[in-house]
Amino acid sequence: MIERILRLGLTLLLVSVIAAAGLGLTYAVTKERILEQKKAEELKACIEALPEVKSPDELKEDRKLEDRIKKEVQGVSKVYTSDKGEVIVVKARGYGGPINLAVGIGKDGKIQGVSVISHNETPGLGANLEKEEFLSQFKGKKHKDPLEIGKDVRAITGATVTTKAVLTDIKEALKAHAISGR
Amino acid sequence: MEERTNLAQEFKKGIIDQNPLMKLMVGLCSALAVSNRVENGIFLGIAATFVIFFSNIIIATIRKRIPDQVRIPIFIVVIASFVTIVDLSMKAYFPAVYDRLGVWIPLIVVNCMILARAEGFAYKNSILRSALDGLGIGMGYTLVLLVMGIIRELLGTGKIVLFEKTIITLGPVNPPLIFVMFPGAFLTFGCLMAILNMYEMRKKE
Repeated sequence: MIERILRLGLTLLLVSVIAAAGLGLTYAVTKERILEQKKAEELKACIEALPEVKSPDELKEDRKLEDRIKKEVQGVSKVYTSDKGEVIVVKARGYGGPINLAVGIGKDGKIQGVSVISHNETPGLGANLEKEEFLSQFKGKKHKDPLEIGKDVRAITGATVTTKAVLTDIKEALKAHAISGR
Repeated sequence: MEERTNLAQEFKKGIIDQNPLMKLMVGLCSALAVSNRVENGIFLGIAATFVIFFSNIIIATIRKRIPDQVRIPIFIVVIASFVTIVDLSMKAYFPAVYDRLGVWIPLIVVNCMILARAEGFAYKNSILRSALDGLGIGMGYTLVLLVMGIIRELLGTGKIVLFEKTIITLGPVNPPLIFVMFPGAFLTFGCLMAILNMYEMRKKE
């Protein structure tokens, strides 16, 4: 009886060990590339958000500032600084999952551009947040602007949750910028 | 000679006679969810085919050594490993598609289509047969995803975009969005099944 249970357990163990080894190998091979891809995607969006910045080399990470901002503002995941302004990467909960945006804020504290890193919103409704006509309306907005639907923001038709998530993202980025300037 | 026709049959049956989606009605959940775009369908189809093919081979190889009582956990470990391999490789090499397919890649693990092949076929048949069976079932799955993707993307968005290139456009029309959303999946799937059933009934008469 004991012998049989032991045999079953050991078989299962053996299979699991082999599987784990195979997975470890795959992970080791793909890890670098996954990180690179993610980074490249983020940087691409960041450059789009700050039109004056032409190459990713101009963006610098500032860990100290980032930690300070993260303590005070929720949803900020990354802060890049440059001579032309800052790019703040923010994440808010949308309708279908997190919405990651890169918000470029110039030296004057006004938004220069917003670009989408990733989102998982409904095609045809929330996914319209990628459209230029929606994102461009945030240009020139600054900290303490109301940023309310109907007041100074046109919502995406049929996607209130998405619009609100984007607004949260943008408000947070502006708040983060206000802290960094302090 | 008969042996050879049997082997071909093992591959062919998954495409029509035992098509996982149209006939066995397994793996529907993922199929309904990702068939909104042709590209999504192709990638999920390939991913599932990869998993089903290799897990069938491994299980058929070790089937005589698997104790009956723990066969299900062993199947799951094998399947889950291949799914994770697909998951990581897709994340590394096709990040854009991976983003869109999202949770459906890891969810291949619980796709009953794959466990059913392991339990119902690979556990009882030779390696070659199991490999062919896996390939056939995977192809059948991909094929239906492809057809559904073409119908839904074309009707729902008015065009088909493949690898960032527009292949077909319907021109300047305002397409009924419903086709790329969930109700469209049910409508398309239902119509496809009705057509297939009608065709087979005609054939019988």
